[in-house]
Amino acid sequence: MLGRGLKRKLSDYEESMAGLSSAFDSSRGLPYPLKRQLVLNMCLTKLQTYKMLVEPNLHRSVLIANTVRQIQEEMRQESSQQPLNICPGIAPAAHSFTGMESPGISLQLPSGVGQQESHCCELRSVEDPIENSLLIVSDDDMSSAISSILKDLDFVEDISPPTCLVPTGDDQPKFPENTGLKLEDDRQDLKGAECVFGSFEISNSTSYLKDLAIDDIFEDIDTSMYDSDFCCPPLMPPRSPSLATEEPLKTFPSCNSSSANNIQICRTDLSELDHIMEILVGS
Amino acid sequence: ADIISTVEFNYTGDLLATGDKGGRVVIFQREQETKSRPLSRGEYNVYSTFQSHEPEFDYLKSLEIEEKINKIRWLPQQNAAHFLLSTNDKTIKLWKISERDKRAEGYNLKDEDGRLRDPCRVTELRVPTLKPMDLMVEASPRRTFANAHTYHINSISVNSDYATYLSADDLRINLWHLEVTNRSFNIVDIKPANMEELTEVITAAEFHPHHCNVFVYSSSKGTIRLCDMRSSALCDQHSKFFEEPEDPSCRSFFSEIISSISDVKFSHSGRYMMTRDYLSVKVWDLNMENRPVETYQVEQPRVPSCPSVPVPVRVSNACPCPQVHEYLRSKLCSLYENDCIFDKFECCWNGSDSTIMTGSYNNFFRTFERSAQRDTTLEASRESSKPRTVLKPRKVCTSGKRKKDEISVDSLDFNKKILHTAWHPMENIIAVAATNNLYLFQEKVN
Repeated sequence: MLGRGLKRKLSDYEESMAGLSSAFDSSRGLPYPLKRQLVLNMCLTKLQTYKMLVEPNLHRSVLIANTVRQIQEEMRQESSQQPLNICPGIAPAAHSFTGMESPGISLQLPSGVGQQESHCCELRSVEDPIENSLLIVSDDDMSSAISSILKDLDFVEDISPPTCLVPTGDDQPKFPENTGLKLEDDRQDLKGAECVFGSFEISNSTSYLKDLAIDDIFEDIDTSMYDSDFCCPPLMPPRSPSLATEEPLKTFPSCNSSSANNIQICRTDLSELDHIMEILVGS
Repeated sequence: ADIISTVEFNYTGDLLATGDKGGRVVIFQREQETKSRPLSRGEYNVYSTFQSHEPEFDYLKSLEIEEKINKIRWLPQQNAAHFLLSTNDKTIKLWKISERDKRAEGYNLKDEDGRLRDPCRVTELRVPTLKPMDLMVEASPRRTFANAHTYHINSISVNSDYATYLSADDLRINLWHLEVTNRSFNIVDIKPANMEELTEVITAAEFHPHHCNVFVYSSSKGTIRLCDMRSSALCDQHSKFFEEPEDPSCRSFFSEIISSISDVKFSHSGRYMMTRDYLSVKVWDLNMENRPVETYQVEQPRVPSCPSVPVPVRVSNACPCPQVHEYLRSKLCSLYENDCIFDKFECCWNGSDSTIMTGSYNNFFRTFERSAQRDTTLEASRESSKPRTVLKPRKVCTSGKRKKDEISVDSLDFNKKILHTAWHPMENIIAVAATNNLYLFQEKVN
């Protein structure tokens, strides 16, 4: 049987479209909550990707963050009209994140900002099973993800002691201190990524150097051994731990806004640095 | 050839400057009409090429600063030399382009080939004379304005006083004097004390063409603020605030993203200004803040399904019949996914402000004649533009039967985008940058 197959032209544009977004665009039949969830997932994925970048685009980050906020606000309004269903398994946001962790997106999940609780569970119960298979992230996760991204994009220039460098009450993510970090690798990745942005916070102009109170952060780290000789630029640790081992010289993660977890990373790296220095000096 | 990142005619239109992603500036000069080659008038040939910016490495942040030229702005000519400002993400430079067509001969202390003469051997003194030589165009950097921007510079604009200029990044606008490189004044700062509260960034800024105290800046939320520098040193308080109220029926998840203004340009008259957002071009009267006086949908298809509905070129109220929606609106999610929704298209006026032009996808660009209410879609491509052939208008169809020569929405190439266009200040000559090719089109003269 000779088929009369129709030739279809697959343009470059079509090839680059993911199945879901084309479904969004072409299908009128997709239910609104599903569309919204899809957009939200795309936004969060993008934000996550931007966090990994050396220098995220501020314009895009702000636009995406606003979109997320808008969707979040809409969801909040909808859910405030729904009866509350508290899931027993979900602990208050401030101290636990494991319950909220969604597969696939390892967002930083500190509570930081005071948020309403029990949103994640509502989302799960209200939406269908199909939607549950999509990445569902709670309100807290979203707003704290946005906060953390925007905070990381902050630049420190002023002469006055930059508040973002010093941990302050509400802003500081609480989770690094309380939780036994379950997903060590992911956390390290994230902290690594945060350290990437942390380098943003040091002003880019040499004339600002003397105005910064960088020393405050490193007070508890003993850098006397490295003070004069060691003048390697503060490069951020690479994204994946495996890359780090390839580098011949491990460097300090640059100073970051605040969290104690970064100091832990500094200490870890310092001990490795110790080791490397020994080798170098020894040879 | 590298991707062109900016295109700008000078004040007379005789010179056309392009900047590219590799930090180079190429200047084209218009050929003078000569009796022997009467048709050559209007042709632009390369006049000068130089490396304006080099990639830099910020050691403190371990970041590479791109050498891509974001904007070029010419200074009005005041002597034989030409001056232009070119900027990358962080540094602005003032370049002097001058011609040298004479050289001095007959030095006393030097031989013709440059070797130094022994002073004892000099028996007589002579005055060096100037002899003609082949034309040489030299570009030299005269000023470097650096270290004033923490964020990426998106605009520069020369003031009508021809002594100062502004530079704008995502959160701040600085005022410079052309002669002073070690100091600039911050005139707008929208950075919040707490970065978590940041919801809006500056996307473009421009000085008024006649009033040296007035400038505007556009934002990612689709608003434009007009500021008067006489009112205060820091112009955080605007004098006028332009915003079109959103039509609730048009609302979508991407409403804010597509409302972000990518370019703002004053008309030559100074009475109007034009803004480009993702789907439309709007003309504003500076005296009316609550809505634009004209709105043009950039991507307007031919809609076969409702032939009786005239497709409006100019939309005076928001959101017409849904069937005549721009064809991009139905693809917003996909365009968001592949980041095309963040593309920053520029727009420009012609010399008399009667026509406006902007670029689009698939190497299409659009011109809108304001009073005639006529619009044209043209394509900049090698296949369709042999020299001296008249460009054929293009049409995009959304669905149904595709007429001959039409392009279906689904086969548009979103990687071929025309972001930068420029219009000669006096004549109908346009420069269109399509990725790494520059096209020059001229009105057909019979």
